[in-house]
Amino acid sequence: MEKTTHFGFQQVDVDQKQGLVKGVFDSVASKYDLMNDVMSLGTHRLWKNYTIASSNVSKGDKVLDIAGGTGDLAIKFRKKVGDSGKVILSDINGSMLEEGRKNLINHGVIDVDFIQANAESLPFEDNTFDCVSIAFGLRNVTHKNIALKQMHRVLKKGGSLLVLEFSKVENEMLEKIYDAYSFNLIPKLGQFFANDEDSYQYLAESIRKHPDQETLKAMALDAGFGFCEYHNLSGGIVALHKAIKT
Amino acid sequence: MFRLAIEKSLNHLINTNSIQTERLDDSLIGISFHDIDLKLFFMFANSRVFVIENNAQDSVDVDITLNKKAFLSLFNGASFEELIENDEIEINGSIKTAQQLADLMALSSIDIEELVSQYTGDIIAHQLGKTLNVIKGKSIQDTGEIFENFKNELTTLLVAPSRSKIFKNKAS
Ligand SMILES: C[S@@+](CC[C@H](N)C(=O)[O-])C[C@H]1O[C@@H](n2cnc3c(N)ncnc32)[C@H](O)[C@@H]1O
Repeated sequence: MEKTTHFGFQQVDVDQKQGLVKGVFDSVASKYDLMNDVMSLGTHRLWKNYTIASSNVSKGDKVLDIAGGTGDLAIKFRKKVGDSGKVILSDINGSMLEEGRKNLINHGVIDVDFIQANAESLPFEDNTFDCVSIAFGLRNVTHKNIALKQMHRVLKKGGSLLVLEFSKVENEMLEKIYDAYSFNLIPKLGQFFANDEDSYQYLAESIRKHPDQETLKAMALDAGFGFCEYHNLSGGIVALHKAIKT
Repeated sequence: MFRLAIEKSLNHLINTNSIQTERLDDSLIGISFHDIDLKLFFMFANSRVFVIENNAQDSVDVDITLNKKAFLSLFNGASFEELIENDEIEINGSIKTAQQLADLMALSSIDIEELVSQYTGDIIAHQLGKTLNVIKGKSIQDTGEIFENFKNELTTLLVAPSRSKIFKNKAS
């Protein structure tokens, strides 16, 4: 296996990345929701709504939201699965899970299970879930291929994986504007709102290091999914990959 | 949006009427049109149907080719045999599987004509028109619902237009 990997634009030891990512999310946790709204101008809510609309989740389903952070998706899934269904919110980071717990309570949602887990080693039995989601989480995972295999393992046959993640912008002009925005403005917004320029610099850089649409699709197929398609949102700033375990 | 609307409608039907789709599980049905640039795949798995626009990965169990009119008539309960007799539909593969899908479509209450007109017409204008109609028809007490509707419509407007096939004919 490779010895180094990227952490934003830096090359670091593979063993180091997880700790560095933890540092970022420990640092941003308490301001995460506010910054999400500021950085995406609120659009992340629309991307998440679209993800839920595409999920094909119905009453009675079991859903696992990986890297669930402050729980936006878990809240929406909870409504979809009804009393007979189950939603688990998992994240590697205790501080983010804590924020998630508070956020869910604020939304009056109490029947979601919280599990601290690394996406690379999910503590669930094979063939458990009807749907697994990961929103803006995969790019932080050190071994994405291992994580995708784990997601495939815990899904039931016919279950679907939803990966919502920043991706490759389709239009050159939009890409330039977006680059200028994310490398100049996002770290400054991070400094202004959260007093934390470095973490937001990492978030902007990690987006550029994440596999593009076709690469991620190939990785999902490689991980064992029988089918994968993606839809670009907001011109490819974000893409929703949907993979089905056949 | 077109694909998603059909998927949602068929699954709603399956769930609310407890229709058993297990016998169709694992089958993949492709539908292509003579007269619109659209190919849809219906994948049955985990007691639900996934409607997919692009399928380079799997070979289909049944391939159905028809025109827009015949497709619409399936949703209105047209007899499958009649369409075959009139040469309005071509089927390669298991006719029984195709028939099961047609039965499901016939039961669905989806306003398919409206959807197809969106496919060929202006989605944004259509969506805005719909939103305005919703707002026009509401009394002042319903503001919460209006905003909920508006939010959903806005989601569609901002997010769905960039979806490949409808606007750019670009496959993903
Ligand atoms: C940008 S946040 C996304 C949170 C939430 N899903 C959302 O969309 O708002 C990324 C999350 O990924 C989590 N994460 C990072 N590496 C992870 C890993 N290896 N396994 C599980 N979660 C991880 C972080 O702790 C953080 O909560």
